Amino acid sequence: MTRHCTRGQDALQRNDPSAMERLRVHAARCAECAGRLALWDEISGAAPSLRREWESPGLFPKIAAAIEVERARRPPAEQARPFLMPAASRFRWIPLAAAAALFVVAMAGLQVFRNSGGREPLVNAASTSNPLLTDRSLEDVEIAEANYVRSIERLSVLARPRIESPTTPLFVNYREKLQLLDSAIVEIRAQIDANRFNSHLRRELLAMYQEKQRTLQELMKEARS
Amino acid sequence: MRAKGSALTRVPVLENVSRSPHPAKEALLDGPDEKDDVSGPGAPEGDLLSGCRTGDVRAFEKLYELHGARMKSVARNLLGRESEAEDAVQEAFLKIYRGAASFRGSATISTWVYRILVNTCYDQLRKRRRHPEDPLDASGGEGEGTLPPASASDHPLRLAIEQSLSRLAPRQKTVFLLFAVEGFSHREIAGVLDVSEGASRALLFEAKRRLQDLLWTSGVRGRASA
Repeated sequence: MTRHCTRGQDALQRNDPSAMERLRVHAARCAECAGRLALWDEISGAAPSLRREWESPGLFPKIAAAIEVERARRPPAEQARPFLMPAASRFRWIPLAAAAALFVVAMAGLQVFRNSGGREPLVNAASTSNPLLTDRSLEDVEIAEANYVRSIERLSVLARPRIESPTTPLFVNYREKLQLLDSAIVEIRAQIDANRFNSHLRRELLAMYQEKQRTLQELMKEARS
Repeated sequence: MRAKGSALTRVPVLENVSRSPHPAKEALLDGPDEKDDVSGPGAPEGDLLSGCRTGDVRAFEKLYELHGARMKSVARNLLGRESEAEDAVQEAFLKIYRGAASFRGSATISTWVYRILVNTCYDQLRKRRRHPEDPLDASGGEGEGTLPPASASDHPLRLAIEQSLSRLAPRQKTVFLLFAVEGFSHREIAGVLDVSEGASRALLFEAKRRLQDLLWTSGVRGRASA
């Protein structure tokens, strides 16, 4: 039966430089401990070969485009003073808005109550006076939006040859950015479909389209120069 | 205990990306701590930070030039695949943009950048554990993005170490990768992982001890015993 020397194993269990020094002396006449010690040293020697390096020419353009999209999605006020306003203060408007909404509802209720002379129950008087006002505004917004989108699409058609077969890294960059913008637009559109009256989403969509328009214009300018 | 944010605020320790690729050769236990803390060329941290805050793409490009390659390598070794590593780096850059406004300079930008990256990788690993149905996950990360065989032949131990690394505790693995593979100092690792320098040394020792045990029991021997 082979006897195993455990001194190497014991010394390596402890984070103790003096134990390691004793092990080195002992390893000079013990093959097993010499092997353990050599392996210990070789781990450090081989470790740097685990470093990974590969080319990824498309990575930074993707990062830059994603940052551009993120920047376009930020409300202008936030862009103007990005690091002066702590996160908590961005939500200060919520209680104010809630109080204002409560006030409006209370005043509307009071008005309805006065009109009915205080005798009859509420019979949707407020809503019958001008029921299509919100719907009509929405319709106007949607028409304007459709016209705007059509004009951007015309610009896209003009830029398409450059986008589809980019000749320089700059045009690759533009293509990446436009793809990201398009996917963000699709995402916001899906949210709007679920909530057509959400003006915040509409503003965000408009910002996306504006960014797309700017990008297309820059691209066309570059193509001409 | 390490006084948080004291030395880190003064020494831009990670700026030099051109340090030796084999910084840990001299490390027996865990080697000298400060290997070569030399600030690299490039924009001062203040300029870089204000550029990142305003979303200036040139600032991010500079940051990418300085740290992109190393970030990819760290992420690749933590996640196992090049495509996932690139996703993590991209996500980390977005987080840097989002967080630059609230970054108060309690650490160097570079320490902060790697902290974000490591946390992003941990998030991806957690997601992967929650959704283990992806068949690629069963491969242990190899496959797409495996290094060319030249590396493996240079270091026959490489593959064995790589396989054993997956059996280490996440923090031990991270410290081993940052110190022995990427050449970070313990001070830098302490900043990245928000632990003390002593804890970083202890984690490294534990990682090496465990690796040595795993390799020895699987039949790997040092050259001296061959």
